Amino acid sequence: MPYRAPEYFQDLIMLQTILHGLTIGGILYIISIGLSLTFGAMGIVNFAHGLIYTLGAYILFAVLTNLGGSFILGTIIAVIIAIPVSYLIERYVIRRLYGESLDYAIIATYAVLLIGVDAIKWIWGPRPLPISDPLGITLKFFFLEMPLYRLIIIGLSLLIFFGLSLFFKKTIIGKIVVAGLQDQEAVRSLGINLNKYLAIIFVLGSVLGALGGVLYAPISTLHPYMGFHILILCFAVVIVGGMGNLQGTALAALGLGLVMAITGRYYGPAAEAMVYVVMAVVLIFRPIDV
Amino acid sequence: MLKKIEKHDAFLLAVIAVGFVVFGFSTTLTKITDFIIFCIFVLGFDLLYGHMGRLSFGHMLYLGAGAYGAGLSAKFLSPDPLLAIFFGILGGALVGALLGPILVKTSGACFALLNLAFNQVGHFLVLVPLAGITGGEDGISLNFSSYGLINFSNLKFLFFFSLAVLLLVTFLILKFVHSSYGIFLKATKENELRVQFLGYNTFRFKWLTFVFSTAISGLAGALTVINYGYANPSFIDPTRNVEVIFAALIGGAGNVFGAVLGGTAFMSISNYLARYIIRWEMFLGLVLLIIAFRFRKGIWGYLREI
Repeated sequence: MPYRAPEYFQDLIMLQTILHGLTIGGILYIISIGLSLTFGAMGIVNFAHGLIYTLGAYILFAVLTNLGGSFILGTIIAVIIAIPVSYLIERYVIRRLYGESLDYAIIATYAVLLIGVDAIKWIWGPRPLPISDPLGITLKFFFLEMPLYRLIIIGLSLLIFFGLSLFFKKTIIGKIVVAGLQDQEAVRSLGINLNKYLAIIFVLGSVLGALGGVLYAPISTLHPYMGFHILILCFAVVIVGGMGNLQGTALAALGLGLVMAITGRYYGPAAEAMVYVVMAVVLIFRPIDV
Repeated sequence: MLKKIEKHDAFLLAVIAVGFVVFGFSTTLTKITDFIIFCIFVLGFDLLYGHMGRLSFGHMLYLGAGAYGAGLSAKFLSPDPLLAIFFGILGGALVGALLGPILVKTSGACFALLNLAFNQVGHFLVLVPLAGITGGEDGISLNFSSYGLINFSNLKFLFFFSLAVLLLVTFLILKFVHSSYGIFLKATKENELRVQFLGYNTFRFKWLTFVFSTAISGLAGALTVINYGYANPSFIDPTRNVEVIFAALIGGAGNVFGAVLGGTAFMSISNYLARYIIRWEMFLGLVLLIIAFRFRKGIWGYLREI
């Protein structure tokens, strides 16, 4: 049946679109965890997360071009640098915002983002910088083409999902944080210094944010304002998934990644706008009160 | 210090008028026209933020709706500037009226982020699907006609016209805030649930205030287009939302004169300071941090206390 081939072809391209969607969803998930945790536990809309993300990508670039290091070395250095930077942000900005009105949290963390982005422009210049695919291997399976790098991202995000599930179920820190998400007062009344654990969780979320920046860099281009862009997408993920709800965040990231990929297949420029449409619809039917 | 003066609205309006005339004629007139138009935008934003307690992180959408409403009417209907202003206001009000029912039901982070999301969608719509009529990335350049004394290409006329509009908007908001309606608005900001218990339909009032705010933003957008002579996507750019938030905060949110002061202060910083401080975004960030932690009442609030 020679004329059935195109339909097969279409199906395979759809499969490819779904795989792309899973890649985007995986990265969105990795970045959104930190946002979801700060949003859920502290009620803070953390724009500074976008800075950590951007910083991760730029440090990878610096290691690759200036130091001539490998991609893995760049990833490790980016993650390590994210720790003190996010700790400083937590200590001097986020911690002062506990229990404050939400507007000031938005404004203060946005100010951190502005300062950081300007510093990045200072160091690396305002122009976009490219990073190429570190593997350069494309797997082929009949009509299906998939860069190996994207498959690794999907695997890595799955690994992080299961790792975090274990972390929150099995370790004492994880259990305290899960309890804190439910009822802060009760946790504090047990004599636990919740702020310390929230700081640990903030740094953990930021490290994952930096990792997200590193992973996304080869797929897109580096730009000082890249954090702003992805941040709004991740807010959509967090809102759709429910704040502080880790399973929900994972599902929402996956779903919105697929929405982006499938919309992008039919009408490329609308991919991101579609995410906001989904978010608006979700908010209309399930409004949140913070 | 200002507590006593604050009650004399006419005096303060006169101070604004004289201040801008002196400022305008001692520096560049077109630039100060830009300052005045930005102040109108801040007034529209602050009506929502300062008076109703809703921080919108996407108010550029309504400015952009006004700008494109004015720009498209000038391009496709007639180059009449007054008609353009009418369509600018209509554009802002229409977008506000359509999105209002969804938006005003939410508050806090949800309201801020939904506005931002809609702003993203609006920016995208102007940039790609509607590029055929909006000119996409390049925007549209416009020529406005003149008749008789109404000649917007005359810089002095444009300056005084904008100033008159600013005074009118300030006056209207003052009347609005001091009416029983404004007291209702304040009560809603303090505790919406209790206002509902008293039997009021808060939704309708919030919607109306929202549309009022977006219409003023649309008016500012239309004036911006007339001042620049073009409309492009930078008027609806979601990354520029922080400007108006910053201006409202530095002046002192919830006060009409604070908003004008903040708008002028912000424009002075971004226009004049940028010449001396290259890393002015960093400077802006630092000032924002100081405001968020130490200086929440803004310049006007500070001057009131001393």
